[in-house]
Amino acid sequence: MEKSQYRLCIEVLHRLDKAGILKNVVLVGSWCTLFYREFFGKADYSVALKTRDVDLLIPRPSAIKANVDVAELLKDLGFVVGFTGSKGYIRLEHPRLIIEFLVPEKGRGSDKPYPLPQLGLNAQALRFMDFLGQNTVTADIEGMMITLPHPANFALHKLLVLSKRAGQEKQMKDKDAAVRVLSALVDSGQRDIVRDVFKDMPRRWQSKVRKQLADVVEKKVQEILL
Amino acid sequence: MRVIKGVLREELANSLAMARDYERELRKLPKGSLVKKTIKGHKYCYLVIRENGRVRFIYKGKPSIAETERYRQAKRYRAKYRKLLSQTRKQIKFLRSTLRGKESV
Repeated sequence: MEKSQYRLCIEVLHRLDKAGILKNVVLVGSWCTLFYREFFGKADYSVALKTRDVDLLIPRPSAIKANVDVAELLKDLGFVVGFTGSKGYIRLEHPRLIIEFLVPEKGRGSDKPYPLPQLGLNAQALRFMDFLGQNTVTADIEGMMITLPHPANFALHKLLVLSKRAGQEKQMKDKDAAVRVLSALVDSGQRDIVRDVFKDMPRRWQSKVRKQLADVVEKKVQEILL
Repeated sequence: MRVIKGVLREELANSLAMARDYERELRKLPKGSLVKKTIKGHKYCYLVIRENGRVRFIYKGKPSIAETERYRQAKRYRAKYRKLLSQTRKQIKFLRSTLRGKESV
């Protein structure tokens, strides 16, 4: 990975920490697979392919008390505001990183951006995000406590939403990331934790996850969910 | 290989959008730069801009501190955004050529 990209990510997280926002944020998406290295320690774990997108989940948007213009906070680093999709989801762009905010979708859901006026941004509301925010771990990264979904929740969530992902390549990439994490969990002796998280999932979710793992070569990964 | 190509395609779309966003931000910045000239021992402030390939000096009198700061910031951000736009364009070029390439092995 490009060193400057990592440094930029750390600088962004430092600024969010200083502004009092980081404690309300869970780092999700492909970047958390990088920070899981610390969680797995000596277990055999290789980081999956990741993009420039840094996805920040805000499990409880109303809990953010700080009033911070995040775009202004990161402006001098060269971030500019970009809009994606026809609905106008805001993201902060830099040639090395793209920062997006997510919130859990509640009720019937809406395809409109979720406003985050205290941060001067909006977020995309996505299904099943609660599952990522309900069981978390913290990683001490360069003096910051970064909240990440528990690897078991991360991997099972990836498999759960796999069929909803647009494009077969993305599905393959996500599946690879999920299998790597599940495999590292087994190797580090955390098979029971994965099983417990899986058992707590609704039956429909469980069958979706099982279906996705049907063609996985690693037997040890398949066996966890039997 | 397919997964990597998918990621590269996504990154290309991101870079194209990003280049447009940097261009938009550059257009939003106030044009020109404030300079001070000393004429016969007196200091005068001018706004220097380029118009149709020619440099023009527009007399500004004594600009306020806020206006001076606005142009100073604009100069800083213009340099930064141009550099980042250049990086983004290089990424686009690289991603396009990589995606055009034939798959080997």
